[in-house]
Amino acid sequence: MKTIETEIATELLPGQSIKGAWTRALRRLGDSPEIGIIIALVLVFAVFTFTNPLFASASDLQNPLGVDFAGFGILAVGESLTIITGGIDLSVGSLTAFFVVASAWLNVTAHLPMLLALIITVAVGALWGLWHGWLITRLGVAPFVATLVTFIFAVGADEAIAPNPIPISSPAFLAISDSTVAGVPVAVLIFLVIAVAAWVFLERTYIGRELYAVGGNPEAARLAGIPVNRRLVLAYMASGACAAVVGIIEASRLTSGTADSVSGWELIAIAAAVIGGVSLRGGQGKLIGVVAGAALLVVLRDGLVAINVNAYYQSMVVGLVLLAAIVVDRLRVRRLEHASRRLVRPDRAE
Amino acid sequence: MADSAVPTSVSGAGEELILAGVRKTYGPATVLDVERLALRSGEVVCLVGENGAGKSTMMGVIAGSVDPDTGTVSLGAQALGGGTLAAQEMGVAMVSQEFPLVGELSVAENLLLGRRPSGQRWFVDRRAMHTVARQMLERVGLDVETRRRVDSLSVAQRQMLEIAKAIGREPRVLILDEPTSALGPKESEHLLELAREHAASGSIVIFVGHRLNEVREVGDRIVVLRNGRVVADLPPEEATERRIIQEMVGKELGETAARSGADDEPPVFSARGLASYNFGPVDLQVNPGQVVGVAGLMGSGRSTLLHLIMGAHERTGGEMTLAGKSYAPKSTGDAVRAGVGLVPEDRKAQALLLDSPIRWNITLATLRRIAWRSIFLGRRTERREAAELVRIANVKCQTPEQAARSLSGGNQQRMIFGRWIATQPTLLLLDEPTRGVDVGAKAEIYSLIEQERQKGMAIIVASSELEELLDICHRIVVLRHGRVAADLDRTDFSKERIIASAALGAEK
Repeated sequence: MKTIETEIATELLPGQSIKGAWTRALRRLGDSPEIGIIIALVLVFAVFTFTNPLFASASDLQNPLGVDFAGFGILAVGESLTIITGGIDLSVGSLTAFFVVASAWLNVTAHLPMLLALIITVAVGALWGLWHGWLITRLGVAPFVATLVTFIFAVGADEAIAPNPIPISSPAFLAISDSTVAGVPVAVLIFLVIAVAAWVFLERTYIGRELYAVGGNPEAARLAGIPVNRRLVLAYMASGACAAVVGIIEASRLTSGTADSVSGWELIAIAAAVIGGVSLRGGQGKLIGVVAGAALLVVLRDGLVAINVNAYYQSMVVGLVLLAAIVVDRLRVRRLEHASRRLVRPDRAE
Repeated sequence: MADSAVPTSVSGAGEELILAGVRKTYGPATVLDVERLALRSGEVVCLVGENGAGKSTMMGVIAGSVDPDTGTVSLGAQALGGGTLAAQEMGVAMVSQEFPLVGELSVAENLLLGRRPSGQRWFVDRRAMHTVARQMLERVGLDVETRRRVDSLSVAQRQMLEIAKAIGREPRVLILDEPTSALGPKESEHLLELAREHAASGSIVIFVGHRLNEVREVGDRIVVLRNGRVVADLPPEEATERRIIQEMVGKELGETAARSGADDEPPVFSARGLASYNFGPVDLQVNPGQVVGVAGLMGSGRSTLLHLIMGAHERTGGEMTLAGKSYAPKSTGDAVRAGVGLVPEDRKAQALLLDSPIRWNITLATLRRIAWRSIFLGRRTERREAAELVRIANVKCQTPEQAARSLSGGNQQRMIFGRWIATQPTLLLLDEPTRGVDVGAKAEIYSLIEQERQKGMAIIVASSELEELLDICHRIVVLRHGRVAADLDRTDFSKERIIASAALGAEK
């Protein structure tokens, strides 16, 4: 007890040490973008709740907020895997729209049992990712271009399969978006499972680490014995599979396979990853940041609707948040590079 | 100095570059503190010092990229300052170690970037451009087609290109930052000549070097920096290697221990008829506990040989055995699993994850091995492993969690060594292991090599520094045009023989 008191006393007495503590806290904040995003998230959420108490009502939290969060979150997780490898996946938005239709088509039009239809949907998503990976690693196509092709192609494929919406009647299918377990929407549970799996993969498996290495310096990774191509393919497969899962969730929410149901989601996924601290240069970024980034974007998007802000301003606000994230990221990188120059090299100290 | 009453010559004889009271601090660290240093035209001034001694900062101050806290730099009667462009306009040209070349453009376009070869105002006169470019290349003796894209050139060729570009501007002050580190002996020789010629034509040449024999050969003065200060300014006759090192390190330095002879064990690695495009066939054998050097001019295939053994370069023929088993790597992964490791030539481009922690860098090649059930990385296991490797490889850092970028070159290199020591390879391949590291760090890298060798590791070292090979190797294989031109035992070592067979071949 006594020691604690003296410690506090010594820490608080000289004015400088308070300042020092502040600087330290700020610096730590700058070093881990995730914390900043989470703080921003809480603030934004509080503002919306204050302005419109209905925003945080239980039913709104489940749907749309919860289901939206699940959708963007899953896309952002898949997307960030590709960004971590130094690539990008532009196709996830179009693919999601495609799988909204495809999952319904498999279940309703092709009369496949619901579970089988969904498994096939996810498998096709992964195979589509395999195709991206093949183009990128075997033909040397830039990720941007390889996935841009799908981005364009899938929009058409989507309408070709279902010129008219395919109504879904399977109750189990519909339950994905409208039922809850202990108050948590099933879609959110799916998201949590995917997020935890991705976290374990990135932080706690050697393959996850190798993914970062491939993004950080592909030649160094190759010369260290890492199968670079296989890691790249894996990232795109995961991203494709995530798009398929989101397609299923959206189909369930729309209660039909409707063409052109979502658009521009790939950009939200990329924005969420970048806001969450994933570097577009590859090799950097944490899953917690991505999840927080997706949450921030969803809260902003739905919150602005809840307080009746014009749709134009919604996009502008999201754009500004992205800008802020990028600026903060650049400042952080600059500070790190500066620090490394300024650093008193331990081997030279004294 | 800049007394306006005194008429000053625009350029040429008697011009002086003066640094007066120049100080630069980053945070608490003073990285440069020069009271007064005067460099005269017609001189080649060599700047030596360990990494972190302040060489880069001093060059930066002269070239305008670093703003000193106090003090002035003047060239002739004019004060230097106001950024790199202003310095360039006043005739300061710098050849840095990182070449600011545009890989997608041709050799000629790079040489004349920002300049116009003829009177044409809006259009590029291509023919004139290539003619001028060819002349510039001839001056430095670089024989490449001016239409070639720069990213198809080797590191050494890019280095010469960069020098051609700098000399082409007819600079009053030419700064060469370790220009020979990427070059073989013959090209280096030529470069030293160029530096002398350029000085003789009335310019100031500042030559930053790590190879002391070159420094002694080319310098009219040898300026030694330590902890940001000029600690010695020696004429060449006083500048013995020992003296220079003493001044750099600030303490007595022991001679490297003489190498013990190789054992008579059967070879642990052998290659027969190893071949690739424009390479081979090459035969090679290495015994356990033996260090085999690979010498040769640039383009002789030193790196290709190592990359072939590492499975990082496509093999078109030949057979290899490793530890008694047939060895045919299809990928670098195969090589690592079979017990081969490679410390590549270009740290930044080929080895480092610059913005990742030391821990990530040092465990990179052993991740799977230390993973639980060959999948899951345990936080504690990995931290323990990383801490242990940092200790073994003697990486000086505050914590294994700091970014690799924050380490000095020598420390980064030891970290990469640590990465491979972790895998306990049967055969370790080293490509220019001491490139761009200071004298102290060199000695430590040699002792790491010796330590692993004594444990029975077979080691192949490719290097453009002959002294290094003569010092640490049991045998030296000299390559010429992708073939073995000579295979010398330690008893037959001589610089002359190696240079002769590298350049001429036909060794009996």
